[in-house]
Amino acid sequence: MKVEREVTIAAPRETVWDFLWDVPRLAGCIPGARDVRTIEERKTYTAVVADKVGPFKVQFPLTIEVVDVQAPERLRVRANGRDTAVDGLVKVDLDVTVTPAETGTALKVAADISVLGKLGTLGHSVIVRRGTDIVDRFAQAVRAQLEAKA
Amino acid sequence: MLRPFELSEPTSVAEASELLARHGDAARIYAGGTELILAMKEGLVHYEHLVNVKTIPGLAGVRLDAGTLRLGAATSHRALERDPLVRQHFPAVARMEADVANVRVREVGTLGGNLCFAEPHADPGTLLQVFDATARIEKKGSARTIPLEGLFVGPFETCLEGDELLTEIVVPPLPSRSAAAYLKFGFLERPSVGVAVAVTLDDGHVADARIAVGCVGPVPRRMREAEAELRGKPRTETGAALATAGRIAGRAADAITDLHGSAEYKEHLVGVLLRRAWDQALAAIDGSPRR
Repeated sequence: MKVEREVTIAAPRETVWDFLWDVPRLAGCIPGARDVRTIEERKTYTAVVADKVGPFKVQFPLTIEVVDVQAPERLRVRANGRDTAVDGLVKVDLDVTVTPAETGTALKVAADISVLGKLGTLGHSVIVRRGTDIVDRFAQAVRAQLEAKA
Repeated sequence: MLRPFELSEPTSVAEASELLARHGDAARIYAGGTELILAMKEGLVHYEHLVNVKTIPGLAGVRLDAGTLRLGAATSHRALERDPLVRQHFPAVARMEADVANVRVREVGTLGGNLCFAEPHADPGTLLQVFDATARIEKKGSARTIPLEGLFVGPFETCLEGDELLTEIVVPPLPSRSAAAYLKFGFLERPSVGVAVAVTLDDGHVADARIAVGCVGPVPRRMREAEAELRGKPRTETGAALATAGRIAGRAADAITDLHGSAEYKEHLVGVLLRRAWDQALAAIDGSPRR
């Protein structure tokens, strides 16, 4: 599934770009993320992302790799992980672009999310809805963080 | 594989409520298990305690009380489908129940279990809303009644507190010269779109129109803005209003693109099913003796 969200942030492009590399603060914008660790600066990170829908709880330990960096406007990362309890595999390709806008900076987040295994088949509709919601909340949280500081 | 769990068989609602309170998140109500056990077998969820409510005396059964249908939450779909009172006085409910999943599910699955599991792709929660049905919710020492619409909070989520049980679904009768209909469509195991209508005619006009859409959004819900399009219209001139109501309901249904189809497709189907269900309800009114 593909989700795209764009927010305009009242902050200069460089500030937005730098924020994307401020790992602890950025992690705070990802709903359900914790234990974010830097394995290799600007290359590899790990994190655990947890979510809950009604009685269903999932927890994905993720390996996050930076695939492509075109400073200060484009960043592509890939995250992979498996929830061993419910046998679900998640793969996220994230394409983030930062471009100047009339009133600040446009941050576009395009996510291609795949959930495989039993979880993906049984809960597809819910995953689509949650995935969209998470990308939405992430983009909004980044804006809130940056505008609060400004 | 199904992991071991402890099964309790309380003999009263109070006892069941107490068990739920005692075990908290480790416990869940078992009311047929057609969805719960499946999810547990798949390892998607695990509970150490299941509280079987099907053994509570009085929790299953159908009563007609001054025209109002009172359905025990532990009544199976099969019992509802075959019940003479339901078939005679609420034929749309009997028809919907006769088409829930398959006969194996209907035999053990219960109305309350279906509503409380709150899987969005389900039928009863949609149809019962056009009857303005209410849900009686009990726990040890107290009870409350809410509109059925308010039971659903999100996918797989209801407003029930940890120690509460849905005990009864109360379905008021429709006024005279009324009928309801429910239609669904899907090509997977579960329906992709479900539309319910209840129509009341008065002197050739639409005195009341109620519409509910299920499966498409996170929860089944009434489409009041779409209903308003139809109210007061002459019955022979509802064509354009139905098309508008279908578009409004389609948009309001909050469709997403998933394995069940694209959002646009589902929105379109809402309109198609609305028109067909409407015609079916009108035909039912015409076919029934005037009261």
